[in-house]
Amino acid sequence: MAVFRRVLVDQATYRRLAYLLSAVPLGLVWFVALVTGWSLCLGLLITPFVIPLLIGLSFMTRGFAAVEADIARSLLDVDARALPGSPWGAGFWAWFRGLFREGFWRAQAYLLIRWVVGFPVGIAVFTILAAAVGMIFAPAWIPFVSGGAHLGFWRPHTFVQALAFVPVGFALLALGLVIPHPIGAAFQSIATSLLPTTTRTAARPAGTLSPSVSAPASQAAPARHAFQAHAAVEGVLMFVLIVIWAATSRGYFWPVWVALPFAVALGIHGWVLQLREHPQLVDRFRGNRTLAVSAGVGVALAAYFVAIWAITGHGYFWPMWTMLAIALVLGVEAAAALFSAPGSTEMAERIETLETSRAGAVNLQDSELRRIERDLHDGAQARLVALGMSLGMAEQKLTEDPDRAGELLAEARAGAEHALRELRDLARGIHPPVLADRGLGAALQSLANAAPMNVTVSADIARRPEPAVETAAYFVAAEALANAGKHARAQHVEIRMMRAADKLELEIADDGIGGANPNGTGIYGMRRRVEALDGTLTVASPPGGPTTIRAELPCA
Amino acid sequence: MRVVIAEDLALLRDGMTRLLRDNEIEVVAAVSDGEALVREVVARKPDLAVVDIRLPPNFHDEGLRAALELRRRAPGTAVLVVSQYVEPTYAEELLADRGGGVGYLLKDRVMHVADFLEAVRRVADGGTALDPDVVAQLFSRRRRDGPLERLTPREREVLSLMAEGRSNAGIAQALVLTVGAVEKHVQSILSKLDLPQAPTDHRRVLAVLTYLQGTVDEAQK
Repeated sequence: MAVFRRVLVDQATYRRLAYLLSAVPLGLVWFVALVTGWSLCLGLLITPFVIPLLIGLSFMTRGFAAVEADIARSLLDVDARALPGSPWGAGFWAWFRGLFREGFWRAQAYLLIRWVVGFPVGIAVFTILAAAVGMIFAPAWIPFVSGGAHLGFWRPHTFVQALAFVPVGFALLALGLVIPHPIGAAFQSIATSLLPTTTRTAARPAGTLSPSVSAPASQAAPARHAFQAHAAVEGVLMFVLIVIWAATSRGYFWPVWVALPFAVALGIHGWVLQLREHPQLVDRFRGNRTLAVSAGVGVALAAYFVAIWAITGHGYFWPMWTMLAIALVLGVEAAAALFSAPGSTEMAERIETLETSRAGAVNLQDSELRRIERDLHDGAQARLVALGMSLGMAEQKLTEDPDRAGELLAEARAGAEHALRELRDLARGIHPPVLADRGLGAALQSLANAAPMNVTVSADIARRPEPAVETAAYFVAAEALANAGKHARAQHVEIRMMRAADKLELEIADDGIGGANPNGTGIYGMRRRVEALDGTLTVASPPGGPTTIRAELPCA
Repeated sequence: MRVVIAEDLALLRDGMTRLLRDNEIEVVAAVSDGEALVREVVARKPDLAVVDIRLPPNFHDEGLRAALELRRRAPGTAVLVVSQYVEPTYAEELLADRGGGVGYLLKDRVMHVADFLEAVRRVADGGTALDPDVVAQLFSRRRRDGPLERLTPREREVLSLMAEGRSNAGIAQALVLTVGAVEKHVQSILSKLDLPQAPTDHRRVLAVLTYLQGTVDEAQK
């Protein structure tokens, strides 16, 4: 009961629920639009029209994925972003190829999953909730419906009989509110692995291009647990749906339409798990993990369509066409795997990462320059104009009203002081002088001294890193300290800095209340600064605290 | 009084020279880098050197380093360091030898000519002039610590002015109080913070700053 109460008040429950239900309209739209798009492309494959169609398809996918990223961010707490655009500059074909990099295919897969799995899950959840509401309010309607409710085996029609439904309804409601959590968690990991996320761009440190074909043993256990949880959730859902079916019409066996996609999802999940646990399986696909996964997905989808064909009364064997398309895609992928150098996928991913972080750095610089321009315009410049006016007026009054002239001069002096103060703050925001003068250790100590809470600094830097690295580390620490004081209400903060052979490690740990928003402007700005230097930023801030922010910056 | 100025920007160097000369202070040399400053001071033995922190060749803290060198090589010359920004760490470095005749002010303070000249004379006479911003930063970092909270707002004002290096008369003038009233406040502050009576204003500054520093060190342990 306590669990249920917690689920009931947890805002996440309703957001997960909204996410699952959103698959019903959205999944349908994505599926229809993408199937239409790909069919047109396939049909016009040998004509030049396929090029604009593919471009349109790519932009359509990007648009859809952007919508899904927004939804995943707000409803699933996944740090998802829109797909980065293809950089223009190296000619049309480079740009065109850039449109279909890996991110595009991941997005395609995500949109397809939203339809194949999300749609039936959404329907199932909706059914459970609707049935729950109907049963809870059964005493209010069953007595007034002529002949009562038709339940196949029983036809309740009195108020007392209807009362029997109320507890069942509440049980169903509980189920309907509890299951979005495990299912949401499953979708969370799907969204994390398929949509572009900020952590993904930061996840791969510089220089490591090693293909992650075999997972370390420590990851195997959670992966297996996830699969078991997946199977259990699907089993429970199917059981509930079959009970609902049995309790109601017992006519047409509609739960099969949920069971089929469930089976496809479970099959694909199982195949991925197999590949993870038995790396030698991947070797049969020329060591190409993507191809291995695709083969499994292809087989599962082919089986799905054949099954649909089988239960909808045989007839014309239309799945032939989808199977042909799947075979075509697999063939192209196999050919690409055959001719591409090993590791090129990782290289492409790395290039994508660099392009994203470079774009981020450019944006950061641009917005910083805008801020400086605005501050100068509204601050010091305006003050100097006012100062000039005061001086002009004082000059006028000098002989006829010396007292007034004196007042105006004092005003002018105050204005000059104010302007100086603003300029000083601005300069400090661009590049703190103590950082240039004395290096990072002294600058961090100075930050610590100015902070309103107790701050300990331990800095172990034998050699000074490059100025850009120092500046980034300084501003990360400054931002983290400001957050610790402003949001986390920390009493004590520890700043630790270590200089390894090829990188600078900075860690800021506070004893505050945690719960930092990973998408807030503060952390976003830190991440941009760190990523611009090809570094990584990790933020651990569970609700209740403490918060630990860790930045690793490569430097020579 | 004889003064040497070290400032790399000609506009400010000439302005400062004019300001001091207009007030009957003799500027014996105005130079633009740290090396020239040390050379001129050692040769001419002025009463005071006014030094900008940021000087050629690197425009970092060459002026501060030159000032610290002067403390060793020309102990008879007081040093007033001026800067566009203040950093408490630098104040600590300047005060580290515990000798008198040290000042550290924002350049902005020049605009309040009377106050600035008073600070110049105080430093040349072996006193101390710490910028209110430095004092405010020292205060703000230990605001939450007990003893400072026990002071009345008026006593905190007096303590700030003590830390800046002002005499009781100077404090009385700044706060529009009688010297007697200031003395009473000072007694009360010293007993609340458990500080000893100091024979000179400079000793008093050191005691107050050591106190502020000390609480910092304890808090950081």
